[in-house]
Amino acid sequence: MRKVKALILTGFGLNCDNETAHAFGLAGADAEKIHINTLVSGKINLEDFHVLALGGGFSWGDDHGAGVIQALKLKNHIGRDLLNFVDQGKLIIGICNGFQALVNLGLLPGLDSDYTKRSVSITFNDCGNFRDQWVHLTSNAKTPCVFTKDINMADYPVRHGEGKFIADGEVLKSLVANNQVVFQYADSNGVPANGAFPLNPNGSLEDIAGICDPTGKIFGLMPHPEAYNHFTNHPDWTRKARILKREGRTPDRGMTIGVKLFKNGVDYIKETFF
Amino acid sequence: MISCIEIALKKEFRDAEGTSLKKKAASYFGINIQEARCINIVTIESRLDQDQLEIVKDEILTNPVTQMSSLTPLDIGFDFCIWIGYRPGVKDNPGATAMEAVSDHLGKTFGPGEGIYTSKRYCLKGDTLVPEDVEKLASELLSNHIVQQFKVFSIKDWDKNTGANVKPAKVILNHTPCFEVISIDSDAQLAKISDKRNLALNPRDIPVIREYFLDPEIMESRKKAGLLKPTDVELEYISQARSDHCNHNTFQGIFRYKDASNNEEVIEDNLFKTYIKEPTLKLKEKKDWVVSVLWDNAGVGRFDDENNYVVTGETHNSPSNMEAYGGAITGIVGVYRDPMGTGLGSKLFMGSFGYCVGDVNYNGPLRPPLHPRRLLDGVIEGVKDGGNKSGVPTTFGQTLFNPGYMGKSLVFVTALGIMPSLVKGKPSHEKKTSPGELIIMSGGRVGKDGIHGVTASSESYSENTPAGHVQIGDPYTQKKMHDFLLICRDEGLIPFITDNGGGGLSSSVGESAMISNGCVVFLDKVPLKYEGLDMWEIWISESQERMTIAVKPENLDRFMELSAEHEVESTVIGEYTDTGKLHIKYKDETCAYVDMDLLDKGFPSWEFDAIWLPPELRGLTEPVISSPSDFNALLISMLERPNISSKEWIIRQYDHEVQGGSVIKPLVGVNHNIPSDACVTRPVLTSQRGLAFSQSLLPWYSKIDAYHMMTSTIDESVRRLIAVGGNFDHIGGLDNFCWPNIQFDPGKNPDGKFKAAQLVRACRALKEACEKYEIPLLSGKDSMYVDGHLEGEFGERIKVSALETVQFSATSVIEDVSKCMSMDPKFAGDLVYVLGETSNELGASEYYDAFDETGLNVPHVDFDKFKIVYKTLQKAIEKELVASCHAVARGGLAVHLSLMTMAGGLGLEADLPELPANTGRGRLFNETLLFSESAGRFIVTIPGENKNIFENLFKGMAAGCIGFVTDLHDHLKIFGVDKEPLVDLSIARLDKAFNKTFGDMI
Repeated sequence: MRKVKALILTGFGLNCDNETAHAFGLAGADAEKIHINTLVSGKINLEDFHVLALGGGFSWGDDHGAGVIQALKLKNHIGRDLLNFVDQGKLIIGICNGFQALVNLGLLPGLDSDYTKRSVSITFNDCGNFRDQWVHLTSNAKTPCVFTKDINMADYPVRHGEGKFIADGEVLKSLVANNQVVFQYADSNGVPANGAFPLNPNGSLEDIAGICDPTGKIFGLMPHPEAYNHFTNHPDWTRKARILKREGRTPDRGMTIGVKLFKNGVDYIKETFF
Repeated sequence: MISCIEIALKKEFRDAEGTSLKKKAASYFGINIQEARCINIVTIESRLDQDQLEIVKDEILTNPVTQMSSLTPLDIGFDFCIWIGYRPGVKDNPGATAMEAVSDHLGKTFGPGEGIYTSKRYCLKGDTLVPEDVEKLASELLSNHIVQQFKVFSIKDWDKNTGANVKPAKVILNHTPCFEVISIDSDAQLAKISDKRNLALNPRDIPVIREYFLDPEIMESRKKAGLLKPTDVELEYISQARSDHCNHNTFQGIFRYKDASNNEEVIEDNLFKTYIKEPTLKLKEKKDWVVSVLWDNAGVGRFDDENNYVVTGETHNSPSNMEAYGGAITGIVGVYRDPMGTGLGSKLFMGSFGYCVGDVNYNGPLRPPLHPRRLLDGVIEGVKDGGNKSGVPTTFGQTLFNPGYMGKSLVFVTALGIMPSLVKGKPSHEKKTSPGELIIMSGGRVGKDGIHGVTASSESYSENTPAGHVQIGDPYTQKKMHDFLLICRDEGLIPFITDNGGGGLSSSVGESAMISNGCVVFLDKVPLKYEGLDMWEIWISESQERMTIAVKPENLDRFMELSAEHEVESTVIGEYTDTGKLHIKYKDETCAYVDMDLLDKGFPSWEFDAIWLPPELRGLTEPVISSPSDFNALLISMLERPNISSKEWIIRQYDHEVQGGSVIKPLVGVNHNIPSDACVTRPVLTSQRGLAFSQSLLPWYSKIDAYHMMTSTIDESVRRLIAVGGNFDHIGGLDNFCWPNIQFDPGKNPDGKFKAAQLVRACRALKEACEKYEIPLLSGKDSMYVDGHLEGEFGERIKVSALETVQFSATSVIEDVSKCMSMDPKFAGDLVYVLGETSNELGASEYYDAFDETGLNVPHVDFDKFKIVYKTLQKAIEKELVASCHAVARGGLAVHLSLMTMAGGLGLEADLPELPANTGRGRLFNETLLFSESAGRFIVTIPGENKNIFENLFKGMAAGCIGFVTDLHDHLKIFGVDKEPLVDLSIARLDKAFNKTFGDMI
């Protein structure tokens, strides 16, 4: 049987490659961790893969803006390959530092099919510091994003110092109008946080936690779905598991909503390419 | 050409850094700033032309959406402007990554004399700002003179064209490298040289050193190598190897221990051997999960059939005390190299922290190098950058406050790694060097960093003098090296690896060459940060982010290929031999030629007098305090105390989820804001197993007896593990001693003999606890001089010593993480039990501390009795009889019932008459029961239906049902010994108190 091949970038201070590959693996993909320089040198070709994941971490220490140098490096060396990859309708997901890189590459938001323009930015949290916290997310039912199919709400952790999504009014309006806003920070009932800290942990405009391009095949988000790869990752699992048990029910220990997000991507490839 | 690019956020965006500066200026100094904006300055010294500079500015350094930039000073208004830049030679991480980016983007290589440097300027507006205030902000908030320099401009003296006029912070030494030959005609002469060169040779070592070099046979063999008298390289090597840091002379010393109550004297020869090594080796025989202990950079325990875990801990106290950020980031990044250099190398999977500092609100006359508040800010930030950028979750940590730490604060950092138990079919915990293998140095370059510690701080600076003694760690460079080395390991390219820490190459090469029995090193091959280092400096420099690796010649090409692919610098600097000689060359000249076994030449042990005065003899008694009448106010005030209150703001700055294995987080409860007993992590994502980790720090008990400090600390760390589902049969220990100076000196250290006795007692307690609880010590370290001489009001200097402190860390492997337990009560109607007896043990408690009292009744640990309870509780948790579990720790029962109530978000009622209690150590009043810190106790909630089976399990043990969880109200209600209502506080009120002290910090 053909396997969906996912490429997980590594190197230069990226650090979520292992669990991102693991989550893709649980989602049924054949995930390979590939050092950026082996793509640059041509030892590995991007076109041999179906999904590209730019994961979390501190590429180049995030010293000159999060994801900036990573974007520059990819643009300089495999910029053409990336655009071809997009043209072929393959999938790209950027998580945290990867989201920041996608935005700096211009692959997001990709308004008017321009995949090179930097028109939004992800900048320093309003709270003034790095913050690790689980957030509630509500997803946009109308979004074309292939990764969030059948996901209405999700809890994932955020872990960043630069996660505040900003854009000027016009761009923001287009994003909303095109249903490119995929995830918003919300309360436990799924009502958007409306900027309230800490439900919205960084002050993102429109509570934006993740956006996609107009086709829904390029997706970037600040929260980490790969960090919810096992039921014990959720901060409330000890409580929930015992409540269910006491009610005589068995806790669901199947696929987490974190892995589900990756599986949506993998399934999309299977449906479209195989 | 020198060019400066200035970058700032566009005006419409919130300047988070400026906002934080405003806030701190107001709250720390009462200085009112109306507007603060931050400008990043990138200074480029290069041959780039104008067009290229524009490209660098626009395409690399400026975000078009949020930022503006210019090649001339940005016109941002201010009343005062502060410029802050690094001193030459201080690691400028953003400068280095900018060079990488420019090289890649323009396809340009940076030649000698070219470089990129970063600095900042802050534009401040404020009607009431005066130059003195601005100077204060610059020197006491924004910069530290040890690593940084600053300039203050008022708008009047600002030149719009030259701006801050930033010069490259580069090191120029103008020195031709050389080595010196040292005359050692007499002991006195060598002693003088030792003083002059800061070798810190022990006077008793001096004759041994001279004897070696004057031995006719040795002289004959040295003559052949072209040497006669010792060289500075050789003496520096000996000095490093014999230092307390590398050789642990204190723990291997001879103690004449006398108990003043009966005048009995015992000779303790080698505390390490008696109290750490021997019990651990015995336990290793018994516990088949213990894989490797006592010799490598870290200890190794079995995680599962295919993987072993690695654990070690360090302190980085002195540097953090001088430059908190730099010291702490260097500390955490440094300890992360230990697991990387254990066995054939392990992958890091978690870290933890422990901070002991003075009062953050101190406003007395003493002037520590850094105010505790500023020090804590810097330390927190250093571990944040070091840990987060290493991609390693910081899953546990504690912060405590005591005036004794104003003399020297403590920064504990702990690292855990995981490695496959077999690499290419061979055990990964074994490693050796063999003749013919190449010596490779990977990672960072060598500069004047960390040479002879803090002595350099008193020297005067010129514009290009390197500020080398305090370093700034570089997690980015190290993370690249970490990833690279794991690939080399898995390809079987590494027969030996170790890190470069204290002593630099001198230690890493010196020690690894003992295995092959010799080496030849070419110091001229070692890549340098800048030219002009003398040979001895290259040899002992402690420049960070370096590993020393042995590679077989046939594997060199592959090793170098991977190194290049990961953009890690690796250099062959020599070869392991079996000549029995440490042979160091620089180009064609030999600058050191000594026997590998020189260090076994009968150097004398250090000696200490230790006199124990039991607390009663020291006049300690229980204080006379009658029962309080307002327990509600008392409990509120306890929860507000800095040592009890929430430190959520610190924990949230640390990524505790990266690597995706988080099971029990550092903060738990319905609102995810109560500190957990311990953390649990899955280092192997495909496995159901978890690694539980806890730490305890109870230095206050040393005020009474360090013996009980040690036993209580270990007992607490064990209970913390059990509380989350840990396995009593697999507990690994890690001891980090931090002690004030124990060498008696009538003038300088008059209580040295007592502190020495405290150390002996703590070691005895360590052995007893480890034997009784069967805890092998997987790793341990000591830091022996936690004293400071602080400047006082009248020009005097007052010695401030820290409490005798041990941070004990404990590990356990949990077979099935789905059985893990958290401390939050989960169901209304559940019963609340307390396991373990409460005695009159308020000595050195938080309760007594609230009244500035010490007392006498320090908690005692009854290992044999306690461990039966712990094993039984483990069984109850495994059988899923328990709904929540929490170890009673600092602050006693009232504080910990409060924490549980907040964690559960449900009401809780407790009756003190039902509490298992013991009057053996004195009467028990309400306040004794509520605030005694007796060891061995847990609070547990269970469903009512499990009552019988639970009570049967604990039959014959101290277990009392003290109350229940309820949803009829959301209060903590405690009833006293006469059933009278004592405490009735809502969760909201508890929460407010718990978050009052630090709750507004983020």
